[in-house]
Amino acid sequence: MSAVRWIVDLFSSVRFGITLLVLLFVYMSIGSAGVVYPIHPNLFHPDAWVHDQLRQWRPFEMTEFEWFHWWPFNLLIGLIAANMIVTTLRRIPLRLVNLGVWMIHTGIIVLIVGSVHYFHAKVEGDAPVARRKIVLEVDGTDGSVELLAAQGARAVIGEGAEQYAVEVVDIDPAWMLRTEGSDGEPAYSVTVSVQTAARRFMRQLIAGRPDLTEDLLPGSGPAQPMQRALKATGTAIVDAALRMRLDYEAQGWFYLRNDLAKAWALYVRPAGTSEWTMRPLDGLPLYNDRVSSTADVLVADPASASLRPMLLPVPPVDGDPFPDVTIAVDGYLRYAQLRSLLVPGGANAPFNPTVTLDIKGDQGAESTYRLMALDAERSTADDGLLRMAAVSSEAEFEQLLRPAEIRVRVPAAGVDVVQRVRVPKDDAAAEAFVPVGDPLLGYGYRVRAAQDDLPVGGRSASVLIMDVKTPSGVIRRWVFSDAALTRDVPAGEGGHAAPVQPDPAVEVEYMPGGGRALLTVVAGPDERQLRLIAAFGDAVGKAQSIEVGGSVRLPAGLTVELSSYEPRARVVEGPVPIPFEQRIRDAREMFSMAHIIVPGAAPLWLRFSPYAFDDARFALRRHPFHPQRIRLADGREMDILFSRQRLPLGTDVALEDFVLATHSGGYTGESGTIRDYTSLLRFRDAPDQPWSDPTQVSVNAPVEHRGLWFFQAQWDPPEPVSARDPRGSAGLNYTVLGVGNREGVWTQLAGCVIAVAGMTYAFYVKPLLIRRRTERAKEAARKRLALSGVLP
Amino acid sequence: MIRRGMRAICCAFVVLLGGAGEIRTAESAPAGASFEQSVDLQPLAELAVQSGGRIKSLGSFAQGEMGFISGPRLIHGQSSLFTYFDLLIRPEAYADADVIYVKGGSVRQRIADAVLREDPSLQERMRAFQSSGLISGALLGRDGVAAVIEQMQGDLLRTAKVMDAVRGAQMLMQTDALLRGLRIVPPAPADERQRWHSISEVMLLAADPGAAKASGKEVAPIAGLDVGLQQQCAQHWRAMVEAWIDGDAPRVNASARALAAMVPTLNPAASPDPTRLRWEAWYFANGNLSWIWLVYALSVILLLLAVVYRWPRAKSAGLVVFAVAFLLQTVALLLRWWISARFPNSNMFEAVTTSAWFGGCAAVILEVALRKRAVAGLVALASGFASAVALMSAHFLPVQLNAQIGNMMPVLHDVWLYIHTNVIIFSYCLIFMAAVSAGLYLAYRALGGKRVHASVGGVATLSSEGMGGFRSERTGEVLDGVTMLLMKLSFVLLWAGIAMGAIWADHSWGRPWGWDPKEVFALNTFVVFAVLVHVRYRALDKGLWTALLAVVGAAVMLFNWIVINFVITGLHSYA
Repeated sequence: MSAVRWIVDLFSSVRFGITLLVLLFVYMSIGSAGVVYPIHPNLFHPDAWVHDQLRQWRPFEMTEFEWFHWWPFNLLIGLIAANMIVTTLRRIPLRLVNLGVWMIHTGIIVLIVGSVHYFHAKVEGDAPVARRKIVLEVDGTDGSVELLAAQGARAVIGEGAEQYAVEVVDIDPAWMLRTEGSDGEPAYSVTVSVQTAARRFMRQLIAGRPDLTEDLLPGSGPAQPMQRALKATGTAIVDAALRMRLDYEAQGWFYLRNDLAKAWALYVRPAGTSEWTMRPLDGLPLYNDRVSSTADVLVADPASASLRPMLLPVPPVDGDPFPDVTIAVDGYLRYAQLRSLLVPGGANAPFNPTVTLDIKGDQGAESTYRLMALDAERSTADDGLLRMAAVSSEAEFEQLLRPAEIRVRVPAAGVDVVQRVRVPKDDAAAEAFVPVGDPLLGYGYRVRAAQDDLPVGGRSASVLIMDVKTPSGVIRRWVFSDAALTRDVPAGEGGHAAPVQPDPAVEVEYMPGGGRALLTVVAGPDERQLRLIAAFGDAVGKAQSIEVGGSVRLPAGLTVELSSYEPRARVVEGPVPIPFEQRIRDAREMFSMAHIIVPGAAPLWLRFSPYAFDDARFALRRHPFHPQRIRLADGREMDILFSRQRLPLGTDVALEDFVLATHSGGYTGESGTIRDYTSLLRFRDAPDQPWSDPTQVSVNAPVEHRGLWFFQAQWDPPEPVSARDPRGSAGLNYTVLGVGNREGVWTQLAGCVIAVAGMTYAFYVKPLLIRRRTERAKEAARKRLALSGVLP
Repeated sequence: MIRRGMRAICCAFVVLLGGAGEIRTAESAPAGASFEQSVDLQPLAELAVQSGGRIKSLGSFAQGEMGFISGPRLIHGQSSLFTYFDLLIRPEAYADADVIYVKGGSVRQRIADAVLREDPSLQERMRAFQSSGLISGALLGRDGVAAVIEQMQGDLLRTAKVMDAVRGAQMLMQTDALLRGLRIVPPAPADERQRWHSISEVMLLAADPGAAKASGKEVAPIAGLDVGLQQQCAQHWRAMVEAWIDGDAPRVNASARALAAMVPTLNPAASPDPTRLRWEAWYFANGNLSWIWLVYALSVILLLLAVVYRWPRAKSAGLVVFAVAFLLQTVALLLRWWISARFPNSNMFEAVTTSAWFGGCAAVILEVALRKRAVAGLVALASGFASAVALMSAHFLPVQLNAQIGNMMPVLHDVWLYIHTNVIIFSYCLIFMAAVSAGLYLAYRALGGKRVHASVGGVATLSSEGMGGFRSERTGEVLDGVTMLLMKLSFVLLWAGIAMGAIWADHSWGRPWGWDPKEVFALNTFVVFAVLVHVRYRALDKGLWTALLAVVGAAVMLFNWIVINFVITGLHSYA
């Protein structure tokens, strides 16, 4: 028997087909449910058996999708198809009775063909689309600055005295319009605070209604903290030099789903530019850690870290801004957190006092803080309410104890006084002027408001707003702790005239003292000496010594415990792999990181960012964004990001509106109260084209655009105000769309339908045919026998 | 020999049923039992309350909330609504009462060990805890125990979920949480889409606003609702609470009746149909009618007797009892459909019970069509067994198969929920039923039955006559014929159901097939049946192979339903 004959016989064997089906069953079971195996000789012990996903083990490192596209699976399916075709052709004659089995086998072959097409062409990912961005323009400054309309987003535009620091302070997705014609209609409203050297105001923008843009000014008292500029000054816009509008935030990319088939990527760009260039990162695992050197991770015992070196080159791509730089990846952590360890620096290390504090409330709430006195960013916490300072002398310490003071000098009268600041609680205008020098001279002041630790143009400054009285009149003055910023604001018209340099007749200096911190930890002058200043409800702080392990009770049921103090601390930073049982199950790749080596720069860990946003101003809530800046040996600066591969949508997508439909009683935070999510999308195939009419995408109702299907995938839930998030969020500010193609689904469907028809035929028509044929044969036989006289 | 063996199966089944009845043990009655017995909360149980985006009866609401606290256990044998009010009004009585349910033996063991380390005298109580799972908040709050709990909370893989449930129960037991949950005051007519108000928002309204203002305890009434009615509701509520504290049942009953009559009048348009609420309260108070399993079990016993003893009267009686059980189950399904305002197939409880009901439908149709054939009674036997198992699961595993009616997830609002899910659960029930007849065939063979198989199956069985009465050598043939009849039906339905699921997934998730574990194991079940069809074609001992593979197919189907759903969760976890 020839080999060909043997093979043809094999493929027309039903036994072979059964064997293949059994293998398929085993392969699918292992890939999907995993394996269970004993780890203990006593097999009846409850913990003796472990369940694990075999495909995620190191030798495989496969997602479900990858396991079911691996060559053994493809081979198995191919063999089954060949077996079915050969057997059907060779062994099942195409007759009416066999039509069913022919149809079943044909249907399954058609389904396989459709599936090969479908899975071969499959791309699937997601695209976040934010609702709006804010476009800022300032007279006299070229170009515009854009920022996302998202709570807390900040930007600075303009220069010098014309510099505007803006911050989105409130977003209301359902602001009730109170204008004629649209009274009571909900609209998307964004309120932005604007801080200039001279003043602070708010501007409210309404999506789709630029005519309703208006400014809000600080109001007259606590009952009315803000008032409409239109009412106070008669004009809706108090500073026409600053122009702001809302625009669609177009999305042109979608990011491939990494848990479908691994699609890691690095993104690079020259520092200061906004366009990312994607470099695919092939070969990086998904489930298992790879560490090339123990020095790369922070573990308690470096000897226990198992090393599994790896080196993946990530070469430049076409049009790469760094065509000469090949990046390498030599480490991957599936689930880790970057932490810093404080290690004692030794006697020769520089003075760097660092404390760890636990603050406990009487309700059992507890927060741990680590403060470093000499680190600008880490010296304060909780918006400046908690602070650490280092002093080199008792005099400096005394300074911290002092309340806020002002120094007023009138050179003409030879007056130079330092006085404590008393900020009036209610109506400042009713306060009498505090005389400076001889009251008869006519100099005096009154404080209207104090605002400490204000962010001004990226810096922090404290400001005192006061009226200064001179013999020639009253001047409104903003006195900054940084004297260079101090300005006079000509009185009247609600302070709308441009601020001017302060009148030199009266010099005022503002010394905020202990600042606004309620608690200040002070190290020094002796390096072992640590004191705590508490200024609860009092302008003057009270100091007391504190030691490691000691605690101090404070008002409002708070207790401060000092858990560590290191005067010469050195900070070592690095990732700590999180033990498996402490990992959040559905965190997916959110806490993964890759170890990057860029030639000429120090290696670093890059945390995973799900999307390559333009910059932090465009990062969406709940979607971490961790780009890093690297300086190369030749001085060039590179921004680098670890994320997923992305593909162009072939169109721009914008989110006109997002609607949450709820059951009776509205959304309460419980998922059971949600009825549906709907994104109203607009498409634009080229930047110069107009946006399309809104199209609705909701659950179970996708839309197709240029070959891609758009699905409602994720939403932006409202978040209540909490200690972690003192502002909260009204939510509904963006949508995440699932994006995918679906080529070959009609072939797949046709295959299924043919198979169903075949099964019905084989099971319910064929027996009838056979029975009829048997009866007919019996009848014929009977007739024959009757004719031959055997039967009567 | 065969008859004796089959008899043994019959007996074993009866013993199994008897054993199941023993699972529930009586709890010792508390001292205040007489108060509980003389309090009549029925009027309040039928009051409407808003919870989780639904308007339900207070009775079913309390049952659901107490389920979060005490799991499947009733505290001191009291009704859930009584315990809810008692927890609210007399929290001190529950501070050290064992009312918090802890799931899982190993977790209970660790907690019990921690308690006993602190206080070895609690041996007896901890033994009770380990069997019932109930423990008090005071014991959980002890230092040593709290440390163990914190540790278990950190283990996200194994114990965090159980601990979260315990924390949730403790939060829910707080007086303000219990009070906040009582959203029985309808919103004003102007904002009917708004949330209902909690009784706490009106309960402090004084009858005499002037005096309240003078004493500085003024509370603003809810705008848009009649202030006088609100004041009266507040009065009735306060009177009920005072009477409750005094343990004065007649006064409690009078106030409860008055309150229940008054609250709906605040906004009659917002309050739902009282008949529907009454039936909802009744449905839940009667354990979702899952006791129907007993009727099914009786029919199974009779039909088994008919198979074993070839006793025509037992068969007739069994079919009658089966018909009654099916009728009752149909009533239960229709009742649930009516009170939830949607076809019941969108959570685990509904999927299991509705699946069994579909099997019942198939059995009724087939039994009518095959009433003169040898297979008569066997399809009903298989279906009766499937329904008894399904309803027993619902009855004895109320935690896993939570019967509470909630809103469906947005993704389930699609016509394919009714097409795909119903076809799939129907096929699953048929698979289970085929395994029942296959199991009987295997028992028949194990006891020395002949190596036979049905030469006809499927639709041919319907038309083949002359197999009336059981002859022992034909028992195997008939059982094999029933297996094939059910298997073929499920084969087509399963394939069609999977394809329909793909159609739904294609427009819902963006992919017809995503290798989700549930999809893969549905396909695996189909592969087993494909193997069965081809093995039957080739094998010499067709009957044995068919029966074995039918049982394997059912095992894979159950694995998909139980293990995949509860252990290896995927996209299909809506239950």
